Amino acid sequence: MGLGARHASRYSPVELLEGDPHLIARIKDLIADLTSDHADLLVAFHRVQAEMGYVPREAVPFLAARFKTTPAMIFGAISFYSEVHTEPPPGTVVEWCSGPACLLKGSMNIRRAIEAVIGCGMNESTPDNAVGLRLVQCDGTCHLAPLVRVEHRYVGPLTVSDAIKLARDLKEGKKA
Amino acid sequence: MATYQELRAAAEEAWRAVVQPQRPLIRVASGTCSRAAGGEGTLAALRGELAARGVEADVMEVGCPGLCFADPLLEVQKPGGPRMLYGHLTADKLPRLVEEVLAKGGNAPDLALGVVAEGTVEGIPALDSLEWMQGQERRLLANCGVIDPESIDHYVARGGYEGLAKALQMSDEEVIKEVLDSGLWGRGGAAFPTGRKWDFLRQARGPTKYMVCNADEGDPGSFVNRNLMEGDPHGIVEGMIIGGYATGASYGYIYIRDEYPLAVERMQKALEQAREKGLLGEDILASGFSYDMEVVRGAGSYVCGEETGLIASIEDIRGMPKIRPPYPAQAGVFGKPTNVNNVESYANVPLVLRHGAGWYASVGTENDKGTKMFSLSGHVQRVGVLEVPLGTPMRDLVLGNGGGVPEGRHLKAVQPGGPLSGVIPASDVIVSGDVGIRLEPQPFKDRGMFMGSGGLVVMDDSSCVIDLAIYFEWFAEDESCGRCTTCFAGTRRLLEILRRISNGEGRPEDVEIMNLLADTMRYANCVHGQAAPTVVMATLSFFRDELMEHIEEKRCRAKVCRGLVRYEVASQTDALPAATDICPTAAIVRDNGGYRVEQSLCIRCNACKELAPEAIEVVDAFPA
Repeated sequence: MGLGARHASRYSPVELLEGDPHLIARIKDLIADLTSDHADLLVAFHRVQAEMGYVPREAVPFLAARFKTTPAMIFGAISFYSEVHTEPPPGTVVEWCSGPACLLKGSMNIRRAIEAVIGCGMNESTPDNAVGLRLVQCDGTCHLAPLVRVEHRYVGPLTVSDAIKLARDLKEGKKA
Repeated sequence: MATYQELRAAAEEAWRAVVQPQRPLIRVASGTCSRAAGGEGTLAALRGELAARGVEADVMEVGCPGLCFADPLLEVQKPGGPRMLYGHLTADKLPRLVEEVLAKGGNAPDLALGVVAEGTVEGIPALDSLEWMQGQERRLLANCGVIDPESIDHYVARGGYEGLAKALQMSDEEVIKEVLDSGLWGRGGAAFPTGRKWDFLRQARGPTKYMVCNADEGDPGSFVNRNLMEGDPHGIVEGMIIGGYATGASYGYIYIRDEYPLAVERMQKALEQAREKGLLGEDILASGFSYDMEVVRGAGSYVCGEETGLIASIEDIRGMPKIRPPYPAQAGVFGKPTNVNNVESYANVPLVLRHGAGWYASVGTENDKGTKMFSLSGHVQRVGVLEVPLGTPMRDLVLGNGGGVPEGRHLKAVQPGGPLSGVIPASDVIVSGDVGIRLEPQPFKDRGMFMGSGGLVVMDDSSCVIDLAIYFEWFAEDESCGRCTTCFAGTRRLLEILRRISNGEGRPEDVEIMNLLADTMRYANCVHGQAAPTVVMATLSFFRDELMEHIEEKRCRAKVCRGLVRYEVASQTDALPAATDICPTAAIVRDNGGYRVEQSLCIRCNACKELAPEAIEVVDAFPA
């Protein structure tokens, strides 16, 4: 998805040295018991993301120090994994399943329609970050295809018109 | 330290309360699939109804028995009575169920799917008589939907860890011989004999060796491993401990994809329980063998399902595949000798040890022994997970168990085992006078494809092969790690060409270029790049007419390709105001008293046609 290009600007070397001290203390605390010889980097990402909803840039130098590597390597890993997010999560996340069963049942039509209603593309959010769209991979709930998940709640099988109504409600601030 | 017999006796005690319940026992399926369909609401409603009516009953959460199409599922067993499975049981139906079945002593046959195992109930068929169950040989699925996956006692009482206890009495070479004799081969896709792989690790030198379980089931449309991890996690744990004993490994990693949080939770719980019972850790069952392991949760990357990519991901770097050799048995996790097997491969091992290689090899074909789990999805009446002997005709699963494509449609193709494995056209599935392609590796290899890890995505004639090729090539491009130019640039170029064709800008020379690209991509370093053009190549050979139609006539017969169709108002009907309201881009405009579609605004999302099927027509954008 061209993750690298999109996030590159958020990680300038100068910025890496700065940051909210409170945030930095929290990050340090979260990864305090992890070590570099024990398959712990993914644990670190999950912990930070569970706590903050994303992995902020401030975390990168501390992760690098903890895992005895360079910030570039840490950023490389962050940008590699599609479920590690580098931006604060939107207020409401609509996850669109990209899997083949959904595709066969018209998920591309749903995607186009939702994007048009919400007014942002996939893996983007509205300017106020109230609603965002995320592309997710198939998790085998294909009996509900085509589906989206709204705040982790499965909605499907969806018609395009139902998807549009759902997206309009979200756009107007109504939680579906 | 407890012996296995002591563990078993204690577990059987706990299980007896379940199999001979003194009060009604209600099993509620709670896999990801059941929960997604509203299973949690069903569970809450059940508890609420029981409390409100003062009905005494035990409620147990179990894994999914594989009948995803009938989710949410719930099973009632009254004291002394048979197990009755109910389907499509959303929360709103619970008051009636509790009233009729538990308060009044009826059976509500109209809500029931079937009677599980022994016993008969008037008006309810035996579950085994359902089309879905035909031809199934449920060995790995035996515990799914039956035991509480979060209870090690349930697993042990049903014979769990007996295989491990047996293995610990044997030498490492004897265990490997048993696995070799069973004919078990890797279920992840490569079909390499598990016993031989283990022997490589056994012979590898070094004080530290690793067992790794590849639970990064990234193939879209495959969900057999998830079903197993959520329904019977201890089978995998036991298989890995046996593997550790046979190969001399002292530590194991179970790498589970991020998309399976419930599987992560249940596998972690299984490890904790095994540790508590002395089945993991120091001196397992007083055998002198020590082994432990942990769960690693992935973070969203398909190539981490490639074994060297998975190893890199465990090693705290981005999960890019490496060049083999060295193979993992020589230098795997942290450079140490490592064995990587799929979830299903490990889950078969305890059965081999418990029942013997002869029993294991009693089903299957000459060359392929045992069973294989498959997940059915797409254009099929019944979506779910099933387990059949290897060599079962694909036709039986698609048309029989799955119930075939929706009424009025025709089977077009089946996409087996993930986006890299290829496409099987309907003409190979339904063959007059023959059973058609069988589910075993060889027929797929003969076609230049893989059987893969168990996903079967069924497509009918409403789908467009170019659209599918775009999806699979997009997936390959998106998940390419970026190391080899042949892969990252090859997938990108293929995708560009396919998208161009779907936009009506195909050129005659495109076929030649795609052939050339596909040939070049075979030189990528890992299987991801090598196999990425498989679907495109299959499309070129099996569906050449449809491809050429797109290029030469700029026509999509399935009316799927967005660049080749237009939406038009064909007749002015009463449904058009609703269609106008639903249009997300206000493309339906009214002038001179009539409605028309403003083509510059239309995004071809089909919403209007859903609401006004008579009024809206999809026409070729480039009429002949």
